[in-house]
Amino acid sequence: MLTYVVRRVLSTVPLLFVAMYLVHVGVSATSDPLAGLRLCLPRCQEGYDRVVDVYELDRSIWLRPFAWFQDAVKGDFGKSEALGEPVAEILLKRGINTAMIAVPAFLISAILAVVLSVYSARRQYSKTDYALTGLSFLGLALPTFFVGLVLQVFWGVWFPNWTGFKPFYTGTMRSDTFVELLQSVTLPILTLVIVSVAAESRYGRANMLEIVSSDYVRTARAKGLSERKVIWKHALRNALIPLVTLWALDFAALLGGSVITETIFSWPGLGPAFVIALTKPDLDLVMGITILAASIAVIFNLVADLLYGWLDPRIRFD
Amino acid sequence: MKESNKAIRFAASLFAVALIVSACGGDDAATEDTTAEDTTAEDTATGPADDSCGGNGTLIWAHEQEPGDLHLDDPENGLTITAWIRTGMWEGLFGVSSKTEYYPRLLASEPALASADDGSVTATYTLREGLTWSDGDDLTSDDVKYTFDMLMARNSADEYVYLLGDRTGLDTITAFNVVSPTEFSVTWSAFFAGWKALFGEIHPKHVFPADPAEAAAAENDALRTWSYNDTVLPSSGPLVFSEWNKGVSMSLVRNDSYHGSTSPDAVNTGVAQVGCVEINFVPDTDAQINALKAGEADVIMTQPQLAFEEFGTNDDFVVASSAGPIYEHWGLNLFNKHLKRPEVREALALAMDKGAVMEGLYTPLFGSSLPAEGLGNVYWMSNQSDYQDATSDAGYGKGDIAAAKAKLESAGYVLGADGIYAHPTDGALSLRVGTTGGNKLRELQQQLLQAKFKEAGIDIVIYNQPGGEYWDAQPFNSDALACASSGGTKGDCNKWDIAQFAWVGGPWPGGQSAVLRTGAGSNIYGFANAEFDAKADECDGTVDDAVRAACYNELNLYAVTLQKDAKTGLFMIPLTQKPSFYAVSKIRLASYGVAPDANNAGPLLNVADFKKN
Repeated sequence: MLTYVVRRVLSTVPLLFVAMYLVHVGVSATSDPLAGLRLCLPRCQEGYDRVVDVYELDRSIWLRPFAWFQDAVKGDFGKSEALGEPVAEILLKRGINTAMIAVPAFLISAILAVVLSVYSARRQYSKTDYALTGLSFLGLALPTFFVGLVLQVFWGVWFPNWTGFKPFYTGTMRSDTFVELLQSVTLPILTLVIVSVAAESRYGRANMLEIVSSDYVRTARAKGLSERKVIWKHALRNALIPLVTLWALDFAALLGGSVITETIFSWPGLGPAFVIALTKPDLDLVMGITILAASIAVIFNLVADLLYGWLDPRIRFD
Repeated sequence: MKESNKAIRFAASLFAVALIVSACGGDDAATEDTTAEDTTAEDTATGPADDSCGGNGTLIWAHEQEPGDLHLDDPENGLTITAWIRTGMWEGLFGVSSKTEYYPRLLASEPALASADDGSVTATYTLREGLTWSDGDDLTSDDVKYTFDMLMARNSADEYVYLLGDRTGLDTITAFNVVSPTEFSVTWSAFFAGWKALFGEIHPKHVFPADPAEAAAAENDALRTWSYNDTVLPSSGPLVFSEWNKGVSMSLVRNDSYHGSTSPDAVNTGVAQVGCVEINFVPDTDAQINALKAGEADVIMTQPQLAFEEFGTNDDFVVASSAGPIYEHWGLNLFNKHLKRPEVREALALAMDKGAVMEGLYTPLFGSSLPAEGLGNVYWMSNQSDYQDATSDAGYGKGDIAAAKAKLESAGYVLGADGIYAHPTDGALSLRVGTTGGNKLRELQQQLLQAKFKEAGIDIVIYNQPGGEYWDAQPFNSDALACASSGGTKGDCNKWDIAQFAWVGGPWPGGQSAVLRTGAGSNIYGFANAEFDAKADECDGTVDDAVRAACYNELNLYAVTLQKDAKTGLFMIPLTQKPSFYAVSKIRLASYGVAPDANNAGPLLNVADFKKN
């Protein structure tokens, strides 16, 4: 397995390189960091020259990424023009903020997805199954920004009006105390959970239904195993394999910054930073966030591959 | 099964406990920390205030923009918010009131102007007594002189261009004499009509190196982080920079040495009544509105204004508004086959029903801050003392359908069976009105006017395009501009017919002439009149305020009526000012400041008038 992991890690290097190169060329081709400065020439000649120098704009668009690579391999991801801080610091600080909502949201939605899919599969076509199916479709149909705004209004305005107290903050990260942090983090997490669990539970239910009607499950039942053991030990394990793929993609996307959720809740994570970076445009920051997101995606796909082997011993990493 | 039930019960209990713990610390309005460090007599009436940032004496302003740094005029950081924040920290010689008029801010009175035979003009200034910086140093004439020297240092323009957006007006100063700590005089080689706009911020001399060039270099760095040698820059305004948690919030604390505001809008002329201002950066407009409703913000100042509609009818909130310097207008293409005829332009002006626009769209939300008859001047705004409603005086803007029809018929137009006039050679009177698509207020305005103009036999076709695409495709298209600047001999004169957009006025309206002069880059209309150009020069060179104001009103007649130029005049139909406004929570605030002119300053301009409940 070690050989497999090493091989996979090494194979990601050229993948990341190509991804970075394409992103750099793509962003460079579609943005003009000199647009604003050009309007105020010659007064802004110094600023103009500085930006030309920082982004190597005097070089061919195809060659510019290499200068960035040279610095990046030394750990220098540049300085964000938009946020006025080194990109590495931004990635660390905002990455932690993003993880604060992404990790709990992922764990909660994963657990809920498993529980709900098992329940729905065991009680197929029951009233609860119909209700959960309906809620899942609702969750799938509702745009993330709408879910976030509804939660803000409900918990920030309606609930306090009814009960006289407000359990959660509806925006702006507060972290003076752990309780404040908990109050700030709850609604963004809830938004991500609602959106994620809707899709994941549908996948899980479909997989579970297929597995519980398979021959080996019937055999397990025939052997006299308890229903709990059949479902949770034998059926679920196989049903999880497609979900693991989905989780790997979802988790990588969450850690890369949930643009809409973080924007709605004014959460200072990677999502809003990415928006700022793209609109400015702030090439160094775009590259920094992209390489982080790409690395996370690669890592979690690797983790997913390894999990396949654990879930299904027939899968070998030769 | 038992184990599973236990686990569920445990999880449920954990969640319940978390919820209760959250609830106990949750509503900061309900559970504010009432431990005050500094209790004043006034405080005892309303309860002691915790003046520390985050305490119940904190004014929370939720805003979508976050500056990259606090360096004003940095072309890479051209955010209005930067200026809005700095206005609470550094004051200038003059301030701008909610009436978009200058008032002496650091000055004791209006300076005296004296003209010399050689054409030079000298202003003698007197600073207010008792001006201090927040670190205790006196603010004197030397600080003003230092500001001038630093900005004019040889390297400021070459290497530290960001310090200074434009040297116009400073570069014609020939002498700067400090007479005493509170008196100084400035001499210009020729009168500069925008002289009150100069020295909008006075920099602290005692903080920076004495050599102007070194000072310029030092300030260029210091202004980004608002600190020099690891010390926060001192303030002359009501607030002092405190902390910036990038991406989250910025805190400004009260300047207890503040000398007080002289703004005509100010009720409180002492130090701020809030201990701290926290600017929370909330990028989403809906989230800002929710923050205000949820009691997590005290004030929001954002667009679009239609989002504020719900606050206008909610007793818990107030939409404070003032008429700002930005005004909407219909610009007419003088090279359009119909609009080249003065009768057609006048028919448009006559049929225009500004009252209906105001009554339907603006007055319900902004009340009497804007005139019910709309705007009638493109130089002076309705809230400025020198405003004259030239269009109403000419009978325009009142929806006079009969007069409009008569004008069209006098130009040979004949009413067709479809109810639309047509010209024997140029066909049906159909005109495209374009603006930036997605602006709901403008679109509603267009639809309302479209119906009105149809009554007058004028077919208005709404022809909007998204955002920047509109400018490039229609009025500011290079071919369209070539047509306008060449007198219709070059380029493409059919890119647009009527353009609806906003220009920015200000306390000194002379800048408006720049877009109306013959061949000017932004003169999209194609207006060319040598008499107007000469008059504009004359106005800008007039020293006397009253005479100069009247002169600008005369220039306005060229643009909005046919009085001064019967052939090519009346190429602008001013509609209304865009009000400056913010929404505040009456639940959380006992008082709030007058909404400032948003083009010049945000809520921090009148921050001393904000008081928490």
